[in-house]
Amino acid sequence: MQKTILVGGKAGHGTAVTSHFIGKVFCSLGYYVFNYRDYPSLIRGGHNFNVLKISDKPIFSHDNKYDFIIALDQDTIDIHQDNLKPEGFVLGEEGLSGEKVINIDIKSILGKLDAPAIMENNILLGWVFKYFGVDKNVLFDKMAEKFKGDTLDLIKKSIEEGYELNEQKESIKSIGSPKYFISGNQGVSVGALNAGIDTYIAYPMTPATAVLHYLAAKQIDHNFLVLQPENEIGVVNAAMGSAFTGAKTMVGTSSGGLALMSETLSMTGISEVPLVAYLSQRTGPASGVPTYTAQSDLKMAVNIGHGEFPRIVVAPGDAREAIIRTQEAFYLALKYRTLSVIMTDKHVAESDYSFDDLEGSSLDNQRFIESNVSDDYKSYKITDNGISPVLVPGQGPVVRASSYEHNEYGNTIEDAETIKKMNDKRMKKGKHLKDEVDKLNPVSVYGEGENLIIGWGSTKGAILDSLPNLENYRFLQISYISPFPKEIVKEEIEKSKKIILVENNATGLLGDIIAEQTGHIIENKILRYDARPFVPSDIINKINK
Amino acid sequence: MKTKEKNTWCPGCTNMSLLRSVQEALTELINENKIEKKNISIAADIGCFAKIFDYINVSGFCGLHGRTIPLCFGMKVGNPELTVLGFAGDGATYGEGISHLIHNCRFNADFTMVVANNKTFALTTGQATPTSEKGYKGASTPLGVGEDPMNPLALALMSGASFVARGNALNPVQLKNILKQAVEHKGFAFIDILQPCLTFNNFTPYLQKNAYEIGDDYNVKDLDQALKKSLEWNGSLSEDGKIPTGVFYKKEKPIFEEQWPQLKKPWYQVERNINQKENVKEFL
Repeated sequence: MQKTILVGGKAGHGTAVTSHFIGKVFCSLGYYVFNYRDYPSLIRGGHNFNVLKISDKPIFSHDNKYDFIIALDQDTIDIHQDNLKPEGFVLGEEGLSGEKVINIDIKSILGKLDAPAIMENNILLGWVFKYFGVDKNVLFDKMAEKFKGDTLDLIKKSIEEGYELNEQKESIKSIGSPKYFISGNQGVSVGALNAGIDTYIAYPMTPATAVLHYLAAKQIDHNFLVLQPENEIGVVNAAMGSAFTGAKTMVGTSSGGLALMSETLSMTGISEVPLVAYLSQRTGPASGVPTYTAQSDLKMAVNIGHGEFPRIVVAPGDAREAIIRTQEAFYLALKYRTLSVIMTDKHVAESDYSFDDLEGSSLDNQRFIESNVSDDYKSYKITDNGISPVLVPGQGPVVRASSYEHNEYGNTIEDAETIKKMNDKRMKKGKHLKDEVDKLNPVSVYGEGENLIIGWGSTKGAILDSLPNLENYRFLQISYISPFPKEIVKEEIEKSKKIILVENNATGLLGDIIAEQTGHIIENKILRYDARPFVPSDIINKINK
Repeated sequence: MKTKEKNTWCPGCTNMSLLRSVQEALTELINENKIEKKNISIAADIGCFAKIFDYINVSGFCGLHGRTIPLCFGMKVGNPELTVLGFAGDGATYGEGISHLIHNCRFNADFTMVVANNKTFALTTGQATPTSEKGYKGASTPLGVGEDPMNPLALALMSGASFVARGNALNPVQLKNILKQAVEHKGFAFIDILQPCLTFNNFTPYLQKNAYEIGDDYNVKDLDQALKKSLEWNGSLSEDGKIPTGVFYKKEKPIFEEQWPQLKKPWYQVERNINQKENVKEFL
């Protein structure tokens, strides 16, 4: 079974909530669901839509051919009706017009129930689920998880009205255990909770803002702190102050926000004060396309901050990976005393994915702070692996961190010998970091075949869902961009016949990094750079052509 | 209080006197059992005065130009038990990092920000800063600065700072006293210290002639009076004006740390019992 449903309307019509609800219901019945959100940068009006793909098999992407469209306004029909499948139809209120439109007299029902206009969505939901033959009590139970009292009563009545209007066409029953339904931003947030975050500091910026909201709502129950200071530079410097005191600290932003933090992110390198930075890419350059997607900041993330220092850049490909990779980002930043960047984009961050389980990482949550306090403490003690034992202010000894090149005590120096020693110390950490990352599945290979598709981050979904329609292809997902798993990538490339790079940017940035790291130049590229994510047919059509 | 690092300020630099005042103020507060040495954490950035970081033997973080204030703020967010002091110059604080000053006056987290105001970028060889007087000539402003200088005290008062003071680098006794009050003050304490640069902007004679101490008949809780006091001197070094020094304003207000029920102790001491299954329950 596979269904693709589009829900569209103006901002404020509740398209996202309605679509998410349909997804939740199908997940509770054991189906797999992928939900894509598409919305412009405005508060009221415009055209928002969500595409839900529902399947009895695991699914990680959406599609642009619809089984039906729930239209909350005329624009939805005008823009999308050409993409209806031959047997598809449109559902909307009386007055909306187009081909294959089934009109429902919403106004009369609202009048009868004395209900506000927003209840339209629930009437339509009732109609839709009657069509599928889903017991209305399943809907009531799901609604009761979010709403209470009079609101819940009115929702139930509205659903019932829609239910009465339609005839059952299918009989969707539970087909297995319920699925988790979670977005990439929620995954990053859960990963931070699993890692034992102490402070999350951020300035609002789409598409990273949902993490700020989610964590802010959790801060009391989970006993940590969420702050929104004056600007991104204030954010990241406050974060460094917080991290210096031994708090597990994360900042979050989108592309331009990370650019503003650049100088301070360089300070993580030399001060060896650990920081986790969450980057959710939007379409650039500059303000770009704020609520749409791109993978165009890969080189910024890998190179951000002046000077040379080892850092972690990890790019989860879905919400489940976001949980695990965020935990790893904390662990590695704290252990190796440097910067971890977790990279998503709007597509991973704001799409909802479904999973059988959401097991997190089993890495331990220690703080890597010593409890044995000796008086001859040196904050930057030179050790075999480059990692100095960590104390924090308040424990007793003098603890120093510095943005300047420094001696082992953390005081400023300019002599050639110490400068070289400190560079060697930091680079030694980088070598050990690479060894550890190599054990954390820095790449994944899916499918079998002598030809190879290479991608990273959000393209994972569309590529995975393309594989069954491609002959003799396997997929190499590169998750750690820094330190780069060059040996494995080189080996995979060298044992493949045809190699195709798939990226959501205009030039193939990962291709450049692969060339730099392995010496292999990938000529075949499938690139999409219209601020929209790939759907499987984009990849299948290009490769089969 | 002293490190073994070699001092690299110019011979006779007025920063030496500032360093002594800070070391003495902190030592006295420790001896009076008002603060603990192990809990002191300082921040500084880059500039002549910021070199003070290397000469005071306490914990701290030497950060980036203009970012001392958010670094201090973050330390309080990470560990509310620390006694935090920030040290930076006028260029960093009033130019590069001005937004942080304004907002931290509002936030009122419990730390002290000490600005050495020599009205010039000394370490980069004498360019104009926001507090350089009109007509100031430096290598980057050969025609002279065209604007009137910024008034940091009036700005801090209008931005909601709960402790505002002006120090005089030539008056170490008064300065030590202001520093002690600032550290003891619960909330954001802001001190602008007029500090002549002997090499690039030596206004020592002007300061000697025109500075005076605010007297005992002054009510430090009166914001209107403090504002008037802050406007008494327009920052010019050529017009003959009186420069009030001392504590302009001091009033207890709720501090930032108290807004947060969960900010009770240093985070590094918090032990967590993390239940990964529970964290994802709501998504099922």
